[in-house]
Amino acid sequence: MKKVLALAVAAVVLATVPAAAVDFTTYVALGDSLTAGFSSGGLAQPFQEGSYPALLARQAGTPVFEQPLVEYPGIPPVLILLQLHPGPVLVPASETPGRPLNAEYPYPYNNLGVPGADLYDLLFTTGDIYNLLAGNYDNVMHDLILRNGEHTALEQAIGLDPTFLTLWIGNNDVLGAAVYATPIDGVTMTPAANFEQMYNTVAAALAEHTNADMVFINLPDVTAIPFITTLKPYIELPDGTHVPLIGSKGLLPEDAYVTLGAASLLAQGIGIPVELGGTGIPLPEDLQITAEGAIPGVVLRQDEAAVINGRVAAFNDIIAAAADAVGAKVFDVNAFFNEVASGELWSVGGLEIGTAYMVGGLFSYDGVHPQKIGYGVIAAELIDFINEAFDLRHYGGEITNVNMYEIMTGSAEDQPIPTPLTTADIQRLFTREAFQTLQQVFVPRLENYHRTPRQGGRVAPELGVKPKANVLR
Amino acid sequence: MFNVSRKQLVTAAAVLLLVPSMGWGAGFAIFENGARSAAMGGAFTAVADDPSAMFWNPAGMAFQTDKGMQLMAGVSLIAPTQDFRGQAVYPGDGYTASQKSQIFYPPHLFFLMPLNERWTLGFGASAPFGLGTWWEDDYAGRFISKRTNIQSFDNAFNVAWRATDWAAFSAGVDYLTFQLDLTNNIGFVNPYTQQLVDVGQVHLMTDGLKNSAFGWNVGALFKLGAGFSAGIAYRSTFDVKIDDAYGSFIQFPSGYPDFDAVLASRIPFGQKVSGKSSIELPDVLSLGLAWTGETWTVAVQYNWQGWSSFQTLDIEFIDYPHLNQSIEEGYENSNTYRIGAEHRFNEKVAIQLGWVYDETPQPRFSMSPLLGDSDRREYNIGMSYTAGKMRFDVGYTYLMAARRATDGTSVDGYDGEYRDTVANIFNMTFSYQF
Repeated sequence: MKKVLALAVAAVVLATVPAAAVDFTTYVALGDSLTAGFSSGGLAQPFQEGSYPALLARQAGTPVFEQPLVEYPGIPPVLILLQLHPGPVLVPASETPGRPLNAEYPYPYNNLGVPGADLYDLLFTTGDIYNLLAGNYDNVMHDLILRNGEHTALEQAIGLDPTFLTLWIGNNDVLGAAVYATPIDGVTMTPAANFEQMYNTVAAALAEHTNADMVFINLPDVTAIPFITTLKPYIELPDGTHVPLIGSKGLLPEDAYVTLGAASLLAQGIGIPVELGGTGIPLPEDLQITAEGAIPGVVLRQDEAAVINGRVAAFNDIIAAAADAVGAKVFDVNAFFNEVASGELWSVGGLEIGTAYMVGGLFSYDGVHPQKIGYGVIAAELIDFINEAFDLRHYGGEITNVNMYEIMTGSAEDQPIPTPLTTADIQRLFTREAFQTLQQVFVPRLENYHRTPRQGGRVAPELGVKPKANVLR
Repeated sequence: MFNVSRKQLVTAAAVLLLVPSMGWGAGFAIFENGARSAAMGGAFTAVADDPSAMFWNPAGMAFQTDKGMQLMAGVSLIAPTQDFRGQAVYPGDGYTASQKSQIFYPPHLFFLMPLNERWTLGFGASAPFGLGTWWEDDYAGRFISKRTNIQSFDNAFNVAWRATDWAAFSAGVDYLTFQLDLTNNIGFVNPYTQQLVDVGQVHLMTDGLKNSAFGWNVGALFKLGAGFSAGIAYRSTFDVKIDDAYGSFIQFPSGYPDFDAVLASRIPFGQKVSGKSSIELPDVLSLGLAWTGETWTVAVQYNWQGWSSFQTLDIEFIDYPHLNQSIEEGYENSNTYRIGAEHRFNEKVAIQLGWVYDETPQPRFSMSPLLGDSDRREYNIGMSYTAGKMRFDVGYTYLMAARRATDGTSVDGYDGEYRDTVANIFNMTFSYQF
């Protein structure tokens, strides 16, 4: 009897032990364009409202989750699709970018994802909203999001005294190599040693200066995105035979990747043999620096792709080790994207969602960033991961996952109404200019790679960001 | 030996001819085949003392030779309802949908023709399997199933032999016809709006009841003395090959002609595409024990259904392999427990009561808008009125199924709880002794 009683008491005590639930009261998301909800080449409210941090915050019941909302059509104006067949015609939704809608919010934003930001930027770059409001777009995303000209994204995150934090940084430390189709250490890719030093600094600062439960998100392989995988390195003749495209280093092998950056060149006959009606002029395979600026390459051969994915793998090892050192959980988005890209489609409600360009459902028109459904899928996977990793099903406080049906069907007001365009606009076929605009935003400026991290970094609290500090001067 | 008159033969032929023209359908396994036996909860394998013995235990026919030729015909009216409450991630927490009101009316018809006092022939037509689900328009599961109708009809021919005063045996062949009718929408992410859009509908059906399979059945009934009887019956599987199915595809214009054209190059809209499928329907074993006194009969019964035969529902479009579907079902063998009783007030009036516990064969992961099943309970009541050679049986069954949720396991990615599953079933049967 005594034993039974003891067991009963033990059961009651166990049942009343405080749950190890995660506190989502103050959630801060650090990252880049993927965290910001950047989509179809722009940062615009309809997509920001569906960013994975916004969805997570909503589902977790976070009372306040502020984002640097930008009026549609966004900064820069998002691309819209004017024609799908026979070839996609994508143009910016407007000549005029949208206005910031939430610039006067007096505290750091909860979503501190800065499009284009790499790890260096997270640690060292600040932004000044008055510079942007004065019409200068030279540091547009940092100006828009960090605003006070003083504090970096990392400092602002710490200043918010978060109870929960996600960190998804590093995509732009390697994406430049894919978008420019040219892996050059220290130029289009951050050297692994620099990455390690900076990432450890970030992880240690977050662990030391916050009490947040943290999830670090690793990096997807570049060969999982439609920007890289959509175009074939050959032309298929009606009888099924393949005629290879011409690259600056010779005929392209079947396993080469031709980026979406080649679309407008191919439309002009570049890369296509003369006998098939092309110009015979080779596609530029690698990045060229000219007096006018950088001209991206458009071909990734297997060895180059392997170098880039190898760097992604090295970064992911660094992220895993850093997370381990500070007790953060690692959400393996790399495995998820590889699974979907390999044909294991994400299926819901009898529908299948995949990575195919235009029709797959996951990715937006820029071929790099997800669209609303894609961000919904990332949020769904992340919430599943959080529930599992923090054992929320057991301890209570399980986060109800997102409603994919609502995200997929949207509502009437979600549908941006494209501004009418001129015939000349419509004639442009996935223009090179449109891509260059995109590249300026979602990949790091080339000059960034000349930077090396300063020893120790510039980290709060020595810069003294006070919790809930007013970020506006 | 009885003389079988020309008139009787014409009647028998008419009975058989009538069968295929009747309408029917409902719940995947149907046990409502005779109002009286249904009112006793289907605990009839050890009773089997009227023509519905053809369904529950044909050996029982051999104990009815003194009644002469018997005809039994009836119908069940089945009115099911079911609601659905969504779970994350699709269709999402808080989402609700309901099935449309429908009434199914599977008929049953049995004809017993004794050859002498030991041998009896029996003809039966019953609906042992059927399924009908129809969800409200534009609900979130429409890409899996909007409306499903599976119908089957078992035409059985049996012979029963009373070997001794206390033991009878039966054997028979079953010719089962099967019809499939599935409708669902086709959804795509519209690249212009980047949102889900219904681009069309596919209606997959078989051409009437042409698909068929043979099966067989055996039964035995023992009168154990002191009013006790025991019965055992077995009906084999039906391996139905569906070779004449066709899919009919209809396109819904999206408002973007080039998107529509791209889809039309992949999906044969406006065409009837031939397809094929197959399904193995389960075997059924019944074991029953009954006691019959002067005014009471009490019976218990156990049924085993070999549903593990139903693992996938494959639909193959011969010329469009990319449209093939393989629906994972993964059913498991299941058990049913039945208790029934009858009280005879006098020679004319009797009432029946019954209770059934019917385990679902469907695993949680394959619950879907096609069928979201769970363990069922049935409460049955019925009454019989005999007037000379005629007997009228009426009965009512209240069927309720437990709430059951997929809890993130749905193989279709359509998670939620199927709830408020109820069927009101009215059974009516008329019997006549010639």
